[in-house]
Amino acid sequence: MTSTLTTGDTSAAGATAGPAAAKQRRSTLHPYLFIAPFYLLYVLFMLVPIGVALWLSLCEWVGLGTPHWVGLRNYSHLLTDSSFHRALGNTGIYVLVSVLVIVPAALFIAQAINSRGLRARDLWRTAYFVPMVVSPIIVALIFGLIFDRQFGLFNSLLRALFGTGSVDWLGDPTMSKVAISLVMVWRWTGYLTIFFLAGLQNVPRELYEAAALDGASRFRTFRAVTLPALKPVTAFVVVTSFICAAQVFEEPYLLTNGGPAEATLSVAMFIFRAAFERQQFGYAAAAGVVLFVVVFTLSQLFNRLLGIGRIK
Amino acid sequence: MNVNVLRRPLLYTTLTALLLAFTAPLLWALSGSFKTRGDIFEYPPKLLPSPATLDNYRSLLTDQPFGRWFLVSTVVALLATVVSVFVCALAGYGFAKFRFAGKQLLFGVMFSSLSIPFAVILVPLFVILVKTGLGSPWFALIVPWVAPAFGIFMMQQYIVQSVPDEILEAARIDGASEFGIFRRVVLPLLRPSLGALGVWQFLQSYNSFLWPLVLVSDSSQYTLPLGLQTLFRAENRQYDLVLAGAVLAVLPAVLVFVVLRKQLLEGLSTGAVKG
Repeated sequence: MTSTLTTGDTSAAGATAGPAAAKQRRSTLHPYLFIAPFYLLYVLFMLVPIGVALWLSLCEWVGLGTPHWVGLRNYSHLLTDSSFHRALGNTGIYVLVSVLVIVPAALFIAQAINSRGLRARDLWRTAYFVPMVVSPIIVALIFGLIFDRQFGLFNSLLRALFGTGSVDWLGDPTMSKVAISLVMVWRWTGYLTIFFLAGLQNVPRELYEAAALDGASRFRTFRAVTLPALKPVTAFVVVTSFICAAQVFEEPYLLTNGGPAEATLSVAMFIFRAAFERQQFGYAAAAGVVLFVVVFTLSQLFNRLLGIGRIK
Repeated sequence: MNVNVLRRPLLYTTLTALLLAFTAPLLWALSGSFKTRGDIFEYPPKLLPSPATLDNYRSLLTDQPFGRWFLVSTVVALLATVVSVFVCALAGYGFAKFRFAGKQLLFGVMFSSLSIPFAVILVPLFVILVKTGLGSPWFALIVPWVAPAFGIFMMQQYIVQSVPDEILEAARIDGASEFGIFRRVVLPLLRPSLGALGVWQFLQSYNSFLWPLVLVSDSSQYTLPLGLQTLFRAENRQYDLVLAGAVLAVLPAVLVFVVLRKQLLEGLSTGAVKG
């Protein structure tokens, strides 16, 4: 990222002579002071907790007394715990929904909003963004009302349209996953649209004009002009939505409590349940470490592949 | 041209349908908040409440500590916002305008913290704060969250694009101290993006749920999302009070967003766009 970064050394007066400038001045300490508050907080509230998580994951602890060292036992339990497998599988589904449904939908909507001469552009993008402004727990509350089997808005609409509508949105193992996914789509799409829209507005007009002169079809223009120009945004959006979907908590927690029979249980819920409902702090920490390793590795891989997050 | 004439109505129909889809649930909640308990789940559903009643709001505000929840949420969010905007601007400036040993590595470390899932530190952070006596909401809901990597990244991108090196040079020649330059020259130039980051941070803090759920056990220190969730469970999943509460909780967030949407939407995307 950041193509125009640090065009010259501005840290000392007259040091624009390039990187090899021998004039190292007293001000070399300043940049460190500027970034120090972040790193202090980062160490205290990120690195230390991750270290503690690693240690706790090797212990058995109910929250009272001293943790009891058990080595890798928590991890071997996770390997055979079918609840954890289900949580991983469900979270995988949420991730797929966000990357394969929400991201393309956001791109499509951004294309529509970016149409030339469109009226009320500000209205569309603002209205679509609003779900993101609402607290996820309130979103879940509202959708609980809508998904209600007997009296919910969804089933009432289905009944009005098709004469029959008793879909058990929150009680059926498959439909509950669909319901949770729908809530995610509703909450995230307008947010991601903003990034694509900014990306589209950054594509030079001349490229489109050149494509039009060549008589390229709309589809071909999209593939040859739009998509390549959107690569950095797409990378950012995919990684962001992947990380967020991997941590879904509020929707299953409030709408289904992970049920029916763990059909919507997510990894974040699994961790919460183990620690704060079952007092298995070591076990919860181990599940957290597994999630961390998977999410961190995959997103670093994405970043490396797609070339984001670097600085000159 | 002909294609365009056909496409326009389709375009506007699609956009309007989407508009409905994205706003209908919220409008449904708004309408429900004025219905009586029995009418919320009536069939066939009525779009507008009849009879409309303010009872839900009245009993929420008189029988429930809604005002307290609101106060806790707002104060926590405001404090977190002010501090984090400052921390992010500092670090963003450091990364944008200086060249120093280890910059690549430090920036990479900062950026990669974006991909650390919160769930991994949930348990240990809770344990650490409680064991060290720092579990008070006024500390734990604020301090650990005032240095978001996303905000630093956003500020860094903005500063690169909009703070010219010449101004900094001129200030240095005038003999200003480095921190003085940041405070008097750089910060004023950052105003639009500080606004964007501020709104973003405020919403993050105001809307957060999982961390307060774990941390806050004393009901007099509940935040809004926590209070509403507890009310929902305590009322045996009845919606009348909860919907009124949801409307009152969402209103400030939506208002802040609508007023400052330009800054926020543009500020959010500056970082991600540049290749």
